[in-house]
Amino acid sequence: MKAAAQAATPVVSDAYLVARARDGYLDAYELLVQRHSALAYRVALRLTGNHHDAQDVAQEALTAAWENLDRFQGGSSFSTWLYQIVTRRALNKVTRGGDDRSLELLPERADPAMETAEAAERDFKVDAVTDALLALPFAQRTVIVLHHFEGLSYAEVASVTGATEPAVRSHLFRARRALAKTLEEWK
Amino acid sequence: MTDPMPAETLLDVSALPCGADVDALLEQAARGRGADWDAHQLHCVHCQAALSELTVLWEPVAELAAVPVAPPPGLVAAVMSQVRRLVHDVWYTLEVTEIGAVRIAARIVAALARDSARAIPGVRVALGRSTHGKVAALAEKASFGHRHPDAAVGVLGRTAVVDLAVAIGYGDPAHLVAREIQRQVTDTLREQVGLRDVTVNVTIDDVLDGDDDR
Repeated sequence: MKAAAQAATPVVSDAYLVARARDGYLDAYELLVQRHSALAYRVALRLTGNHHDAQDVAQEALTAAWENLDRFQGGSSFSTWLYQIVTRRALNKVTRGGDDRSLELLPERADPAMETAEAAERDFKVDAVTDALLALPFAQRTVIVLHHFEGLSYAEVASVTGATEPAVRSHLFRARRALAKTLEEWK
Repeated sequence: MTDPMPAETLLDVSALPCGADVDALLEQAARGRGADWDAHQLHCVHCQAALSELTVLWEPVAELAAVPVAPPPGLVAAVMSQVRRLVHDVWYTLEVTEIGAVRIAARIVAALARDSARAIPGVRVALGRSTHGKVAALAEKASFGHRHPDAAVGVLGRTAVVDLAVAIGYGDPAHLVAREIQRQVTDTLREQVGLRDVTVNVTIDDVLDGDDDR
């Protein structure tokens, strides 16, 4: 029983699964999708600002990753490569979407216990940050999301965005100041 | 009468009176290190006040970043459905009679084989593949002349080839685990699918110890 339970749990590295997926093992790719779908959706949600676009972007990105698996060099991690695809797809979506996008950032909460005054206050703050984040130019929003939300280092953000590390640092300085300025005005 | 000029705030200047860079202080606050003062900040009221203000300002951003975001429940299934459409689907044609053909997708055969292998003690990860693209193309070509006109593209007959890539636990006897996989998978495919001749190729390509559990 224990062996069966362990066997059902993915315990192998992404690199192993990528190699097997390239060999035609769809199972391997399914495990990668299970591992990384949360990442793809989360980043897409922060970048596009609404649930429906985020779902589209995440789905497109994970499918595109399969189609281009042969082009994945393995010099970086699978997740870094996926970040690249998601941010590019999100940019396309935002560019096509115009300004009439919904500002709904999170799916509706199902738990009524969350509807307390404290939660409402937090929701207000979260909505304010969400709006401030979406008001940033896409490049600045991307570096904020990757660095401050996803915890990527400057070098990793540079790898995802194709920019140099000093350029990332400079983008982050401007983005942080713009974000803080907006929050200051809304206080 | 003109409107009074808005008061200059911390974020309107690039440096504090002490010379400290405001962007650097904002970065420090955003990293959650607003209270970790360096030697200068320990004795500088300007820096201490600025760090305190910037920390409060950045707090909602940190809160939003900490909000867990779960992916929509159908996302994995939707992606895999699209991926499968992109893959050349191979079919085993089990039977062709006057009333029609009975076929099963090779990926279903692979999934059954994989699930059967995963239940065997010692197997930590099992990935299934039934009839790799190039082999499938050759098999289809070879069986083309014998195909019943009503049968769609596929490999004719009750024969299947399944490849399993398997990771086992450290210390488990690889050859015994592999033979058990072949035996059980063969039985499963015979019983559940009705395949007669089953070839099960097992490749043990990873050995995991206890530390690999995540």
